[in-house]
Amino acid sequence: MPMLIAKELSVERSSQQVLKDVSLQLEQGEIHALLGGNGAGKSTTLLTFLGFLTPVSGSVHVQGRDVSEDVGAARRAIAYLPEGATLYAHLNAYENLRYFLSLAGTDTDRQVLDVALDRVALQAEAREMRMQTYSKGMRQKVAIAMAILREAPILLLDEPTSGLDPAAIDDFNRLVRDLAEGGRTILLVTHDVYGACHVADRIHLLHRGELVGTFDRPSDMDRIDTEAVHAAFATHAAA
Amino acid sequence: MMGQLTTIARAEWRLWLRSRLAFGALLIFALLLTSTSVVTALRMSEAHHGRTEQQAGAEATFLSQPDRHPHRMVHYGHYVFRAPPPLSMLDPGVDSVTGQSMFLEGHRQNTAMFADVRASAELGGFEDLTTALVYQLFLPLLLIAIGHGLIVREREENTLVPLLAQGVTGMQLYAAKWVALAGASLALLLPLAVMCAVAIGRGAAPLASAGVVGIYTAYLLVWCSLILLVSSTVRSRSLALGILTLLWLGTALIVPRIAVESASSAIPVPGKLQTDLNMQAELREVGDGHDASAPGFQQLQANLLAQYDVTRLEDLPVNFRGVVSQAAEADLTEVMNRHAEERMALEAGQARVAASFGWLSPVVAVAAGSRALSGTDLATHHRFLREAEVVRFDFVQGLNRVHAEQLPYSDDINRNIDAEAAKRTRMSAENWKVLDAFSFRPAATSERLSRANTPAAMLFAWLAMLTAIGALAARRMQP
Repeated sequence: MPMLIAKELSVERSSQQVLKDVSLQLEQGEIHALLGGNGAGKSTTLLTFLGFLTPVSGSVHVQGRDVSEDVGAARRAIAYLPEGATLYAHLNAYENLRYFLSLAGTDTDRQVLDVALDRVALQAEAREMRMQTYSKGMRQKVAIAMAILREAPILLLDEPTSGLDPAAIDDFNRLVRDLAEGGRTILLVTHDVYGACHVADRIHLLHRGELVGTFDRPSDMDRIDTEAVHAAFATHAAA
Repeated sequence: MMGQLTTIARAEWRLWLRSRLAFGALLIFALLLTSTSVVTALRMSEAHHGRTEQQAGAEATFLSQPDRHPHRMVHYGHYVFRAPPPLSMLDPGVDSVTGQSMFLEGHRQNTAMFADVRASAELGGFEDLTTALVYQLFLPLLLIAIGHGLIVREREENTLVPLLAQGVTGMQLYAAKWVALAGASLALLLPLAVMCAVAIGRGAAPLASAGVVGIYTAYLLVWCSLILLVSSTVRSRSLALGILTLLWLGTALIVPRIAVESASSAIPVPGKLQTDLNMQAELREVGDGHDASAPGFQQLQANLLAQYDVTRLEDLPVNFRGVVSQAAEADLTEVMNRHAEERMALEAGQARVAASFGWLSPVVAVAAGSRALSGTDLATHHRFLREAEVVRFDFVQGLNRVHAEQLPYSDDINRNIDAEAAKRTRMSAENWKVLDAFSFRPAATSERLSRANTPAAMLFAWLAMLTAIGALAARRMQP
């Protein structure tokens, strides 16, 4: 059974069409990346899977269920890492993790939290500090830890490597692959073509809400139309 | 669901405790509330003791008068004082704007006077800031300060999406945030509850005291619902703060002012001078009974002579002048009471019109309910005026009865012949015991609760409306 399906998905925001006839399908253990410029519709796709946006046509399914029929089930099945690692500045890493995880119905003790924070390489001495003192990269690590700790079968990651240094990006990519090998299905949104090529099983190229290319890795990687990728980003920037 | 609800509510409380703004606002409010409560409680306690002592003193003075002609005692007069009820330590209500004492004498209904000028002078006018006012006006401001960002902050800081993505529904989030703010409000009601308990210890009715806590609870929950609704429907904290500040200005300052002006326009009450002039014209026609030979009393004289089958006033078994005083006082009182009741009906009508603005402003509703339950509303003042009049009428007629039944008519009409004659008209001071002890109490609890029904209904209507709109907003909540 496919874990995520978008079928001829069209979405409007503020009367503007932001997705048009987008179709994609993720099987268990797969990593897909959505690439595109700003406003291409990448984050919109994730929000539609979470049921925050209602398609004007087409449908989205999570674990075989139409999201519009049971949005709660979809959200329970998904761990979502939003863009910008939005966590509470007045809480420390442990408090943030405990708060969001308890809302998701996941009880965790400190040892488990530390294991996750070790996996994302957050310094031990920073964990009890309020997040208002954190750098962007440190906040991103905590957000990634939270996505891991949710133990949801599906991960939707919006710009997960934003703010991370190159070494941390490498660590993250390894972590994502480990999670996929453990059976998690991962859809990530990124601007980072290089990172996506290294970590994703399949790359979807979005341009102004339309899917303009899909490339598999590693067999099709050589066939990636880099010209198209550049054109998608550049055209949008020009627009 | 309950787990998520309490988790979110606890998180909000933790944020407030860690926020300098929220903590500072709480601290300022606590200081304001403490100082105001202490000042109000001391002032009303002092007023209660002072007026109770003054009442006892006035009664002792009246009873200690020497033997006198009974009509001299009618004009010597007596004072009654309206001792504030125990719950006035929370809400003194109309106490400071209506007279608290009254001079009672024959043939007149005097205006209530102000006895507490000294206290006002000492406090430089700040005595008007009461515990009730702090709860009615300032606590909503505190709730706005800490609560305006409840949901819009999550939206602005992009934490709303991850929150909802954890499986928390819009309704659960809305309910949890409401619980957080309501919980803070209930904690802030603790001082009020403590003061009510103290008031109960001083004789306040437990049910009325519970009613006071109840009506303020409903009031604060209205504000919680309003704040949350605004916070959930706008896109920025500054906009939420602006809208809520405007709503506060409207409901706390502008609508109450409009209510008073509308009441005055809808039901004009003639000035005291005009009322008194009209009444005096009628009273002159009735006569005050000092001139027993006035034409108005000829029929009474004829009836009495016929009743006792005598031809001369000297042969009557009662003193005709005393009987005339009794009759005249009864007639005068009827006229005065009619005018007083007309005036009180107009004032009560004005109060009703003003209170009806509680449908537009919860501040107006809670103020009316609080005064009614505390026994410090206009109706209580009217009750004081009526009870004072009963005391006045009873003691004046008691003295007139002594005049009619114990003082012989012949002695009475010849009292100015010589000193011995005058001495014979002096009645024993034992007769001054016709004066009943006066101890003013507000209306029974059931009556006060009944008067608070409409304001309470207004607050519950506000609460129901805001809850319904809030539920709609919560169902449609989008990041």
